[in-house]
Amino acid sequence: MATESNVGGSILKAQPVKHRPRVEDFKSTFKLFIKNRLAFVGFVIVLIYFTITILDYVYPSYLGVKDINTIASWVPQLSSGVPSGPTLSHGWWYIFGETLYFAPIFPVMLAALKTDITYSILIVLTGALIGIILGTMSGYFGKLYDEVLMRVTDIFFSVPTLVLAIAVTVVLGKSLQNVVIALIIIWWPIYARLTRGVSLSIKSNKFIEAATAAGSSGLRNVFVHILPNVLSVVFVQFSLDLGSIIQLFAALDFIGFNEGSPLLPELGNMLTWGTSYLVSGIWWPIVIPGIFLLIFTVAINLMGDGLRDVLDPKLRR
Amino acid sequence: MELRYFILRRLLLLIPTVLGLSIFMFILIEAVPKAILVTPYINPHSRIPYIIQEANALKILGFNYPPPIAYLFYLDRLLHGNLGLMSMPGYPNSVAAAIVDAFPNTIQLTIFASLLSIAIAIPLGTYIGARPNSIADQAGRVFSLTGYAIPAFWLALMLQIVFGKNILLGNPLGVLPFSGSFSASAIPNPTPSWFVNGITYPTHLVIFDALIHGDFPLFVDALKHIILPVLTLTYGILAGILRFMRAGMVDASNQEYVKTARSKGVPEKLVIKRHIRKNAMIPTITVMGLLVAGLLGGVVLVEYVFAYPGMGYLTTQGILSYQIWLVIGTTLIFGLILVLTNLIVDVVYALTDPRIRY
Amino acid sequence: MMQNTEGKKSESETYLRVEKLKTQFFTARGIVKALDEIDLTIRKGEIYGLVGESGCGKSVTAQSIMYLVPDPPGRIVSGKIYVGNVNILTGLEQLAKITVKSETNVKIKRNKRMIKRHNYLLSRIRGDRISMIFQEPTLALNPVIRVGDQIAENILLHLKVDMANAILRREMSTRKDYESFVQKALSIGDKDARNKAIREWCESYSISDAEELVRNIFLTYQDPETVVKSIEFIVNERKSGTNINRLSRAREYYLYQQRLFEATLNLMEAESGKNQDEIDRARTALNEIKKEGSSFLSFRIINKFIGKRIEAPLRDAAKRRVHELLNLVNIAEPERTALSYPHELSGGMQQRVMIAMALASNPQMLIADEPTTALDVTTQAQILDLIRNLNRQMGSSVLFITHDLAVIAQMCNRVGVMYAGNIVEEADVNTIFDNPKHPYTIGLLKALPRADRIAGKMVKLETVAGSVPNLITPPTGCRFHPRCKFKMDICEKKKPELDDLGDGHKVACWLYQEPGGSGK
Ligand SMILES: Nc1ncnc2c1ncn2[C@@H]1O[C@H](COP(=O)(O)OP(=O)(O)OP(=O)(O)O)[C@@H](O)[C@H]1O
Ligand code: SF4
Ligand SMILES: [Mg+2]
Repeated sequence: MATESNVGGSILKAQPVKHRPRVEDFKSTFKLFIKNRLAFVGFVIVLIYFTITILDYVYPSYLGVKDINTIASWVPQLSSGVPSGPTLSHGWWYIFGETLYFAPIFPVMLAALKTDITYSILIVLTGALIGIILGTMSGYFGKLYDEVLMRVTDIFFSVPTLVLAIAVTVVLGKSLQNVVIALIIIWWPIYARLTRGVSLSIKSNKFIEAATAAGSSGLRNVFVHILPNVLSVVFVQFSLDLGSIIQLFAALDFIGFNEGSPLLPELGNMLTWGTSYLVSGIWWPIVIPGIFLLIFTVAINLMGDGLRDVLDPKLRR
Repeated sequence: MELRYFILRRLLLLIPTVLGLSIFMFILIEAVPKAILVTPYINPHSRIPYIIQEANALKILGFNYPPPIAYLFYLDRLLHGNLGLMSMPGYPNSVAAAIVDAFPNTIQLTIFASLLSIAIAIPLGTYIGARPNSIADQAGRVFSLTGYAIPAFWLALMLQIVFGKNILLGNPLGVLPFSGSFSASAIPNPTPSWFVNGITYPTHLVIFDALIHGDFPLFVDALKHIILPVLTLTYGILAGILRFMRAGMVDASNQEYVKTARSKGVPEKLVIKRHIRKNAMIPTITVMGLLVAGLLGGVVLVEYVFAYPGMGYLTTQGILSYQIWLVIGTTLIFGLILVLTNLIVDVVYALTDPRIRY
Repeated sequence: MMQNTEGKKSESETYLRVEKLKTQFFTARGIVKALDEIDLTIRKGEIYGLVGESGCGKSVTAQSIMYLVPDPPGRIVSGKIYVGNVNILTGLEQLAKITVKSETNVKIKRNKRMIKRHNYLLSRIRGDRISMIFQEPTLALNPVIRVGDQIAENILLHLKVDMANAILRREMSTRKDYESFVQKALSIGDKDARNKAIREWCESYSISDAEELVRNIFLTYQDPETVVKSIEFIVNERKSGTNINRLSRAREYYLYQQRLFEATLNLMEAESGKNQDEIDRARTALNEIKKEGSSFLSFRIINKFIGKRIEAPLRDAAKRRVHELLNLVNIAEPERTALSYPHELSGGMQQRVMIAMALASNPQMLIADEPTTALDVTTQAQILDLIRNLNRQMGSSVLFITHDLAVIAQMCNRVGVMYAGNIVEEADVNTIFDNPKHPYTIGLLKALPRADRIAGKMVKLETVAGSVPNLITPPTGCRFHPRCKFKMDICEKKKPELDDLGDGHKVACWLYQEPGGSGK
């Protein structure tokens, strides 16, 4: 603040402006968010993908087959040959052409969302939960715990994510379930770090001091004061991570962890199928599922960016 | 002179991290059934019974002791450069030897991709960041967002389809080879002494070895092979740098010292070049470590898709035939590369930002 | 009669003249009418104080004069700002078309080409004729550039011609000098005395190779001709030689750039005048000068690659000047300070560096926007002393902005009082304190504790009742009327002009002028 050199000056001095926190209520936040058109478009696309996923669970028969968990349902006899390209002459399901065993790409792709999105959410959610709990504890237990947590996360961060995921999955055994477990194992440190930073900064904040002075217990502080503040930051990270995880999951499936489930509709799997036709110039089994995946990741990034702008203007990039 | 101590201190701090890394790797190894661990140590054609061979192998590896002691055995082996054994046709028996053959290719890809992306992203980010919300900025935003969102392995496949030789009929762009690090047909006949089992000497990098030995056609062929992998890797990291560079530029442009520079009469071009850009680089440098981590992940996928014989390709081959020692070995090496990169990033950061006290 | 001549005199001494300056911010909530056609003149060598409540537009005034109003959201809408004889708002209308549809819907269409040319104009005025000292030195210095280089940047931008002249002049005289000197030196019989003389001579011309020269002269002791030759060789080749030739070429180039600037300025002025003949003439003149440029093509290409080497003597000179400047602002170790980064200096030191930077190119006008607010009390006093002394020494004008009336009383010759984007009263400092006219000024002064009033016991300080109006929807007429005790009917309807009551005491208030008439 300016110095108080004399009284005459002080009446002319600037009054500190009080900024109202952006997150006052959900409604105004959402209004701000919608204002960013790109973010809103991203949000709508993500919503569509989620709806399809839910539809896969509650009403799978819209895809026209009994079991949507294997492409064998679409093609009773698994015959080999060259899949045909995008066409409308065999109905809507064939609009994007065929892939392995002449399975139609479009419905298989819709079925694939069930696997990809469910697993991605599962991974990020579990990882975030573990990370938040361990990270928040830093603000509560203090120095030694914090030091240990930091060193452990350091080690996780010292190996490239994908490489670590490969190593852990190989150790656990090559299956998609183990890919999920491996990704959870390597994902929690991100949230632990994030939460720790926020919780430590909040701990040093005035209002926690005040709350402690008013007789509020430590653990109570964690849940009443720290967690709600952590959540808005985590929420942004969560939405952005969903995009990375779905890529990573598909990538791991693609490079050879699909041994137990080679016929499962899953985007990475679909690309694997596509590669077997690559040299013969058959592009659609690769291009179409990839675009489908890309649209989702772009949309979720747009949404995440928009969310960050709204929830945490400080982090604005 | 102070910088020397800073680097020395950082190097010392590296020791616990690397030890932690080795413990982590050991924990992973411990989690694998012993029978799988000893597989490459057993000679199926030997007359010695399996049980005895297995017991011997476990003893050599130290697994007959409790885990902490077994870890010391592991550490001792690591310090002697022994990363374990593997058995894959066409590869050496020793994991370390296989990694030595593959390592230069991975480094080559990552360095080429980093240099290319830095060379593009810094000027481009400067340009875009100096004109926020212009059309160029919007285009740059879409470009970098897509780079973030695009799965590296799918981009690699797309580039194969578009530029791969003989993939699409009548595609004028399809001129580049898309598999391996050189074409079999480009190997000089008779095979020279520096070309053994598909590995070139002395650098193991076909591009450079061809140059060293004056084999120009092979050099061109190898160069063509590296284009698509490098482009794929470049896009991802380029997007990252661009994004941070732009943000840094916008942030720095709003600082008071830029006003000072203008008040001195510094021409607009110099304001950007001298006063804004240098400050904008600082946040960009701090995220370089993260970007390199992504790049090292990407290199695995890219090498897999382009069958480029680096460590990533080696790892994926190891997955298929369940080579635990190989996978853990490459993981450890990837970790070491990342740790060292972070060290370099820190030093560069300290050199760029005078406010950092070392 | 007497007043008339005085008026004329002050007119001729004016360095900065602001006319009807109108600056606005086009924000999402509406248009902030930050400056409402203010007039301001600052004479050569005076310290002009600008006071007013927070948010009344002092900083916006300063930024407008430097054309540094952050854009978006702000823009100077109209007005003229003469710095010396140059209107830095020349061609203002062509820079951007502002279409106001409603308070919150304003379209601004910028003309990139014109803005580029205007930036060129500004880069020649800012820092050269007019400099600025900012409130927060910590933020105002670039954290990643050594302070010496930041100061030198200013020198190298604006003093190239002067420095090149000085260097060349010195080199030329060196050449003439040394021949006669060598003769003199050789005539000294005593070895040591001669040695000393030579050394002194060399040092007086700052020839770094003094030692070598001396040795050369010894070596060729018997043969005066060789001595002359060897010194000639050293002076020509090693010290100056090609570099000096290049430097004189560089000087011609800088002079050409200056002519180019003046011609561009003429064209801009003509274009704002809309007299086609004049425009054509100015354009032809500019093209003439541009033609000269082709003869510098090869130089420019060389300069691109070895510019640093050509300018090496300039850089040396700039470095020396940096040290001088740091000395001038009372920094104890100029050499060391010049090499440090801003964060290594204390706030007071940083502000000294800022002042050194602002003074680097001998500007005739200095703007100080609350230069001491961010500093502690003792440092404040030192910095104020420094500014006052420098103003006396260098004779440059100062626009001193503060919210502190006590500082105004100490520092300034004349004072302008601002209220809500208007200058409401202007007079010399004694008049303002002894005989304030505007109700707002009177209110402000009542709030100031005075020796005579403090002599009593507890003094209850009055403040001006009410608060600063919102400048998106400012009060009509006199913007002070909602807070004014003397409000009349006309005050709400019509804006009072800043009117001279005599002796340069100007007030904008209906109490002192006839509504309807011009008031004169
Ligand atoms: N960037 C901006 N955007 C919108 N309005 C602005 C901006 N900068 C200044 N203003 C407005 O212009 C008016 C004058 O502000 P200015 O900063 O000149 O005040 P000041 O007299 O310097 O006050 P202080 O003593 O606090 O420095 C204020 O009403 C402010 O709201
Ligand atoms: S013009 Fe009227 S309202 Fe304004 S200061 Fe003078 S008397 Fe007061
Ligand atoms: Mg101000």
